[in-house]
Amino acid sequence: MDDKRSELKKIIMDIRTLPTLPGVINKLNVISENAKASVQEMARIVSSDQVLSARILRLANSPSYGFYRVSTISNAMILLGVNVVKSLAISSSIFEIMEKNSIGLWEHSLGAGVAANLIARKLALPECEEIATAALLHDIGKVIISLKCSEAEEQIRCLIDEKQLYMWEAEREILDIDHAEVGGWLSKSWFLPEKLSEPIAFHHDVQRSQNHRIKTAVVHLADVLIKASGFGDSGDRHVPQIQQVAWDVLKMNEQILAELVEELEDKLVEVRNFSLEMQA
Amino acid sequence: MQKIPLMHATSGMVLARDVFRNDSSVGMPVCGKKTVLTDALIARLDHLDVKAIYVEGHPGEVEGETVESMLCDLDLRFEKVRTDPLTSKLYNIYVKYLENSMGDSSGRQTE
Repeated sequence: MDDKRSELKKIIMDIRTLPTLPGVINKLNVISENAKASVQEMARIVSSDQVLSARILRLANSPSYGFYRVSTISNAMILLGVNVVKSLAISSSIFEIMEKNSIGLWEHSLGAGVAANLIARKLALPECEEIATAALLHDIGKVIISLKCSEAEEQIRCLIDEKQLYMWEAEREILDIDHAEVGGWLSKSWFLPEKLSEPIAFHHDVQRSQNHRIKTAVVHLADVLIKASGFGDSGDRHVPQIQQVAWDVLKMNEQILAELVEELEDKLVEVRNFSLEMQA
Repeated sequence: MQKIPLMHATSGMVLARDVFRNDSSVGMPVCGKKTVLTDALIARLDHLDVKAIYVEGHPGEVEGETVESMLCDLDLRFEKVRTDPLTSKLYNIYVKYLENSMGDSSGRQTE
């Protein structure tokens, strides 16, 4: 089994066929390690790639963050933080594939970002933007699996229908790994901070999250909420179980959950709008 | 009453709430409730960057989409977790939400 996994890991993580990383990322990585680097300096590096900047700004103005008026990269860096802008830059190529190949998954991701932002704000958690970004990225593993293992993807879909499984269960049965794990590998190989990679890797198993359990719990709950609302298409027909550990760590209760559902449904109109504008 | 994206607004619809800029209810409304929308008005709201509006009735409903059919879809989605103590709470919240927002009273009396 372990052989199969490492073999798969090799296939999936083969950088020659992975979506390319924008060249400015390396420069950004180097400079962001320098404590003396200023936001303006970093913004100038990103802005030098115009296509990338446009993509980042489009995501920064998405309902997942709720700012809507982010007009420059340095603005985005101040409002959303350097980590978020870096993650958006890195993942922009994945989002491009999502927009082209599966609007449903794109809508599901956007919706999860919105839900996570609402939960984080409601519970007054720190680093709301980072949590929203982790939720926006939580299913990147699915894109990679469909890109690298298209045959297996077909089998996975059949198995979901046949045995009424959740997607991650079907993925494990066929590939011996699931999209969350693949997302975790990918985010590590991109050097995304642990506070983003951990929620991505463990959003179906909050228990395993050691260092960022609250963030992971928010992403998990956001995923459940957006699946419950029926918005977008994650590939799963069924709502997953809310995990007790997530409920406890967030100190969730029915009253808060009911308020969150109201707010989310209201916000989803905007998400639909944003998605329509992007497809137009 | 229903909140719809401005993109889905058509002339003849009636505003159910005042429209504000930037989706915040502070400041002056740019258009009052009960106003009947026209194409020109929709274009103007679009220029003001209004993203969504509240209109009378449920124009956004897909034909045949009733409370019953939506509850039926909800049942299907929650099929595997109905007996789970935590997730069934979410199910009950959604049932209540759908009945309130799609029912005849539809919150109109609150406006």
